[in-house]
Amino acid sequence: MAKKNRNVGVIGIGQTEYSSHKEHQNQAEMVNEAVRYALEDANITLDDIDCVVHGNMELFEMVHQPDMWHALGSGAYGKDQLRITTGGTTGASLVCAADNLVASGMYDVVMAIGLEKLQEGHTTGGITNMADPLWFRHLQTGALTATTATMMMEEFGEDRAKRAAMKYRILMDKHACLNPRAHRRFGLEYDQLEDLMNTSPKLVGELRLIHMCSQSDGACVMIFASEEKAKAMCKNPVWIRDHITVHREETFNNFGLEMPEMTHHYAGRKLFERNGITDPVEYFDVFEMYDPSAWWGLDWLREFLQLKDDEHLKLLEDGEFDLDGKLPVNPSGGVTASNPIGATAMLRPAEAAMQIRGDAGPQQIKKEVKHALASGFGGTLWSVLIMLEKDLDWQEV
Amino acid sequence: MKRVAVCAVAQHKCDSNIWQKRFQGMLLDVLEDIKEQTGMNFSEEGGVKSIVSASDDVFDARTISDNGMTDVLGAHYREEEKMAQEGLNGLGYAMSVILSGHEDAVYVAGHCKESQGESRNMCTNLSYDPFYGRAMGLDYTNVAALQARAYMEKSGLTEEQLAKVVVRAREWAAKNPYANATKQVELGEVMYSPMLCDPIRTMHAYPVSDGAVGFLLASEEKAHEFTDNPVWLTGFGCCMDSYFLGDRDLASNFALKRAAARAYKMAGITDVRKSVNLVEVMDCFAYQQPMWLEGLGFCGDGEGGQFIDDEGPAKYNVNLSGGMLAGNPVMTGGLYRAAEAVLQLMGKAGDHQAADVNCAVAQSTTGGAGQFHTVLVLEK
Amino acid sequence: MAEYFGTAVEDIFNTMEERFIPEGTHGVDATIGYNISGEGGGNWKVTLKEGTLKVERLDAEVTGCAVTLNAEAETFVGVTLGKIDAGEAFSGGKIRVDGDITILVNVLPKAFRQFTPVIWARDILATVRERFRPEKAEGVNMKIGYDLSGEGGGQWTVVVKDQTCDLKEVLDDDCTVVMRMEAPVFVDLNQGKLDGATAFTSGKVKIDGDIGAAGQTASLFEKYVAEGAAEEKGEELISLKCVPSINQRYATGPAVGRWFDGLKEKKFYASKCPNCERTLVPPREICAECRVRCNEFVEVGPEGTVTLIDVVYYASPDPLTGKIRETPYTALFMVLDGASRDESFAHDLNPKDIDRIKPGMKVRPVWAEKRTGSYKDLLYFEIAD
Repeated sequence: MAKKNRNVGVIGIGQTEYSSHKEHQNQAEMVNEAVRYALEDANITLDDIDCVVHGNMELFEMVHQPDMWHALGSGAYGKDQLRITTGGTTGASLVCAADNLVASGMYDVVMAIGLEKLQEGHTTGGITNMADPLWFRHLQTGALTATTATMMMEEFGEDRAKRAAMKYRILMDKHACLNPRAHRRFGLEYDQLEDLMNTSPKLVGELRLIHMCSQSDGACVMIFASEEKAKAMCKNPVWIRDHITVHREETFNNFGLEMPEMTHHYAGRKLFERNGITDPVEYFDVFEMYDPSAWWGLDWLREFLQLKDDEHLKLLEDGEFDLDGKLPVNPSGGVTASNPIGATAMLRPAEAAMQIRGDAGPQQIKKEVKHALASGFGGTLWSVLIMLEKDLDWQEV
Repeated sequence: MKRVAVCAVAQHKCDSNIWQKRFQGMLLDVLEDIKEQTGMNFSEEGGVKSIVSASDDVFDARTISDNGMTDVLGAHYREEEKMAQEGLNGLGYAMSVILSGHEDAVYVAGHCKESQGESRNMCTNLSYDPFYGRAMGLDYTNVAALQARAYMEKSGLTEEQLAKVVVRAREWAAKNPYANATKQVELGEVMYSPMLCDPIRTMHAYPVSDGAVGFLLASEEKAHEFTDNPVWLTGFGCCMDSYFLGDRDLASNFALKRAAARAYKMAGITDVRKSVNLVEVMDCFAYQQPMWLEGLGFCGDGEGGQFIDDEGPAKYNVNLSGGMLAGNPVMTGGLYRAAEAVLQLMGKAGDHQAADVNCAVAQSTTGGAGQFHTVLVLEK
Repeated sequence: MAEYFGTAVEDIFNTMEERFIPEGTHGVDATIGYNISGEGGGNWKVTLKEGTLKVERLDAEVTGCAVTLNAEAETFVGVTLGKIDAGEAFSGGKIRVDGDITILVNVLPKAFRQFTPVIWARDILATVRERFRPEKAEGVNMKIGYDLSGEGGGQWTVVVKDQTCDLKEVLDDDCTVVMRMEAPVFVDLNQGKLDGATAFTSGKVKIDGDIGAAGQTASLFEKYVAEGAAEEKGEELISLKCVPSINQRYATGPAVGRWFDGLKEKKFYASKCPNCERTLVPPREICAECRVRCNEFVEVGPEGTVTLIDVVYYASPDPLTGKIRETPYTALFMVLDGASRDESFAHDLNPKDIDRIKPGMKVRPVWAEKRTGSYKDLLYFEIAD
């Protein structure tokens, strides 16, 4: 890869709690809550911010150019401000953008704000409107599909696949139960596995209600600074090493007799290659992954981490994705626990950065976290991968 | 600081009703145009791997509307970010993608079909909070009228001066093959055109427009692969004002002055009147041309009216494209401004080419009554 | 165990620990004796000291406390629950206090949260008739079964018919819907301590029968409020409901326009990439892989080979009509004859084939009789025998 013009560190993180509704505050107030937490966390004031990057989906809350109204709470008044939206990947796009804006030298300190108040709109309807209005909109069912479940059951056998997906789901819930900000914390136990596998209501095929992500309200804010400023302003900045974004064509036309390489696999392959990482499971100490359903989450571990055959199932079955495993996945509980869409993909690098800082709270991984991976998902199976580091000691390839 | 090159621009001709194409069709024309000019490709080795789009979900009536554009942006298995603001910010962001070292070439494309929805005012009404602003019936037209009144009082801007702005815009538009409203008009016609939203008359307002526009940006090292006649992006700044109209001094140009100051500082411009010899402003309504020019520093505070009579717009080569008044869709208002500036700096502006242009400013605005402004400096 | 007003004397003392507010006893050092006579009575000694609490049950009458309260069990429970006026009971001699009465009046209210009696599922169900809202039940005929397990459980059927409501302590065989859960889960749900969607999603509540009917039940009854419970007054939150809509006029462009033209003639047209020869169905203006314009259209299908099957149980609104779609319905992914192998096409399956459909099967389109060049021209696909 080309050499980065200058290094960029995360110096502040703020999150609201995530919940199914927040009638006690309007959108601008919700944004403001997360902004205040991030400023407090960074121990700076709005005066230190040069530029704000904002993102959420207009048609989820039915507000056109919502950054205008949100300026009441975002702190953008008098400052440069950009607005970037890319669907589910929005939060990750904002992080990549903030990284570029700071690395470019155009701004020293950039604050990224991702948010959604899904309660204020109709989420499945909003997602359905993503499809082409002339044809596909009539066929779409929101983001619900069991294609991955069907393919996994075909490949690994029905029982093993269903057990693995439910084990993944329960693991995520166990992590969510530790995270005080998580929206859904069911308190699921492994002894419920078989029961849930068979009785949780079906949404589509073997995609059951319990497998699917929530619809949440909430906002996440991250503050980024140049190396010089980050070191001066912050005791333990977390460094953004690299990021990659991979989109694919307009339609879900990829379920033919031959399947193309998934963007997840492509993103991992390119990113690891250009950073000289040959064994991502070994290299990374945590992976915060955008997992919209248990089936997708489990399947995508194989794609992102460049695993073969049933390696991902084995790692799960052996507890290697647990908090004390080889590569803990989603200590935050992931997206099946909390899903404020425009913020969701920012929660991933935010939670990963907190793991590196060592102040993630009850869901902190016990062993030292030096290298973190975070992913975003959106559009027609688009992927973003972001690499975060504790130390500025990586080797340029 | 390193420089970012614009290697090529492509504009779709604007029209009030491009019924025969989906927005994808307009963007495809633009993509082909850029490819033809530069040989741009999207290969993994050496091709363009980063794309910035600019559009708006409400105008597109489609959630995450860039999903429908991946194909025509060349973004299949590539990076694409959607600037959900007026597109000039997309150029600013694309600059950072290159200056950061992340990528060495970026394709930027914006579009908007104002004709698709029943009313663009219904779209912009949705930008106000649902409790108060929306219920009041605020939209970008009637809010602009409040600002027009405030600025006319501040600057003494007259009906005749406003009419001059419109007449001149149409004259230049006639020479621009991409402009929408090219019919010539006379002062009296403008001055007595029906009132749209007092004091804004129908002919003071830009026509409903559809269009798309594209840019190929590259690092200084990479640019020669695409062109031997690059234009440099040397300054960028933007700024947000308050949301509630009552919190703002509508005639003050608060956000524009700050955005301009930042862009000029980045470009090393200390005296804009000496350094800049071409200006493109996003004048959705006639009063905005003198007001934005004032905010950009081309005349003193409250002197916008006199500036028109003093032939200021001719002196600084203002809106030789015809400007917004000649009709560009709102989400790409600034991108069309920048495209014109690039053509002028490249010497490719044809019938409306100005002489000896070496430094240009393009400006755009988002939100009601200029709540948000963006300024881009381009140099030869 | 004797109960008064549904509560035993013991319950009150046994819950003291959880109702205790340590910060409310700052600077307090006191012992309180309780001699409760009659059935279910007993003797208790409560010690409050600098934010700590000790509750002891003694075998004999309590003496030597700073204050001692003597009462009949029924009076004591009644006063605690607010069913009997404390002042009257005191004045009437039903409560006798020895020692410093100010401790009872000033210290106790700060030291303990109000005792709230245990609520049982049967208490809640007993109130369904009075909570029933006939005006919401017009045209509703259903039997809602409750199968509650664990302590305080049992089986009940709530019968809603002709805008009346009845409760039976038996689970009928012909219930419209049966909700199964542990009794405490039922109580928590009705007290708003547990969210219905959460309980359902996590498997704490199982629903047999018509899920839609289960969702409807909430609107048929007033919210349950425990007897004597003070209604919590929170800040009033206002939300504004509106449906913004802007009419649209979408262009089809040349590619989708050709597709709709083809449907009129019962034909599928794909655009073909001049470079890689990939087909796109429905046609698009450009091949995303090669980034070149597709001007050529080729006919594909009409039959296809099924690759994947999605059976949809989730009831989503039909974007054409806004009506909730009938479930289950089946979405098929297929490769149309003559189309590229890696290019899938999706559409619905004829509901009659839902049990027979398998990947690899050939399917054929079923067309609307009158075709106008729109989505509606193609009804669905069915198995081609």
